[in-house]
Amino acid sequence: MIKINSLKKLYGDRTVLDIPELEISKGEHIILIGHNGSGKSTLLKILAGTEKQTEGEVLTKGQIYYLPQQSIPFNKSVKSNILYCLEGKRKDKRELCEKMLDAFNLKQLESKNAKTLSGGECQRLALARVLCKKGDIILLDEPSSAAYSKGRELINKLISDYCEKTGCTLVMTTHTGEYPKLNKLRIIELCDGKIISDTREVEDYDA
Amino acid sequence: MLLSMDGEILQIIGVTLRMSFFSTTISCLIGMPLGVIMTSSSFRGKRTIRKIINTLMGLPPVVAGLIVYLLFTKYGPLGSFGMLFTVEVMVVAQCLLITPVVISLTSGVCSVNGKSLLETAKGLSFGKIKTMRLFLSQNRIALSSVMLTAFGRSIAEVGAVSIVGGNIQWKTRVMTTAIMLETNKGNFEFALALGIVLLIISFAVNILASLLTREGEE
Repeated sequence: MIKINSLKKLYGDRTVLDIPELEISKGEHIILIGHNGSGKSTLLKILAGTEKQTEGEVLTKGQIYYLPQQSIPFNKSVKSNILYCLEGKRKDKRELCEKMLDAFNLKQLESKNAKTLSGGECQRLALARVLCKKGDIILLDEPSSAAYSKGRELINKLISDYCEKTGCTLVMTTHTGEYPKLNKLRIIELCDGKIISDTREVEDYDA
Repeated sequence: MLLSMDGEILQIIGVTLRMSFFSTTISCLIGMPLGVIMTSSSFRGKRTIRKIINTLMGLPPVVAGLIVYLLFTKYGPLGSFGMLFTVEVMVVAQCLLITPVVISLTSGVCSVNGKSLLETAKGLSFGKIKTMRLFLSQNRIALSSVMLTAFGRSIAEVGAVSIVGGNIQWKTRVMTTAIMLETNKGNFEFALALGIVLLIISFAVNILASLLTREGEE
């Protein structure tokens, strides 16, 4: 599903990412951890195709949806923000939009302009815009960094529900140490652009 | 003279508004999407194109007028259209002058938060048209100023329109060319009356734009 070979990213002379090899199979859920500047966001940007690598090869298969760290709220109502991201028949779009508003606890804000939302609300909306789509690979860059603890719990639950329902491959960064409860969980730690640990969690949350 | 609004003044105002409206609309329809492309896409030769646009921004109106004149003159490549000394060809000359300004200003407006917005749009797998619509709607308040600037440039322009329009009475005479002519004739009263009308129109457009902007912000 995702295959990386001899990947290098340089900003000037500084190497920010150096991954000789990494393979992520279909349905795996990857949590990227590491301190600020370790290369987590850069790796996601390269996987999403919004940034180009300096050297190496990145192969991906399937539809990718990516939530950047600074996802911009569209200058529309909260409801229109979600509707704008949906495709298909108007009736289906409206139904799905209502479900998303309820699930993401945004129903009471639906007519508010998204530009006026708080940081946490904005992040929930940004995540809703991504998770209203059905993707094969979901890339989330710090999806709950601006949320308070209950908000983080909600976001993590929504992510795990989505992954369970769609069977997608997830690559998500976090610096809080909190992440969704998922099967096929793999935690990769980056330091100065290099992978320093890669562990598969054995815990089975279905059990 | 202003209060009585004789037929000729009304006709001149009508031609001026018609010309400015069409040249602003056409320039914005062409220039705004191109301005977004200049911000949101990376392609070969982008720097060169940007340099050309910046150069065209400073294109002297008389040179633009001369180019359009040579294109539409009887033996010119577009002479068969027989459009020289019409309002339509004045619109063409104005578009040549205004479109680079619109492209450059739109590109500047869209580059604020442009990278993050582009990343957001790409992350959601938006196509090119949807991304363009997003950039335009996201910056609609700032883009109304771009439109105003274009209109201001169009209504105040004199060099190009006098070359290609010919300043023909009851046909292609606009406020600026009429002011120039009447001043040369020493008919300052008429020139001043037109000048006041020009100022009132510019003021009205400004008020309208600021009302729209405020409404958008609210």
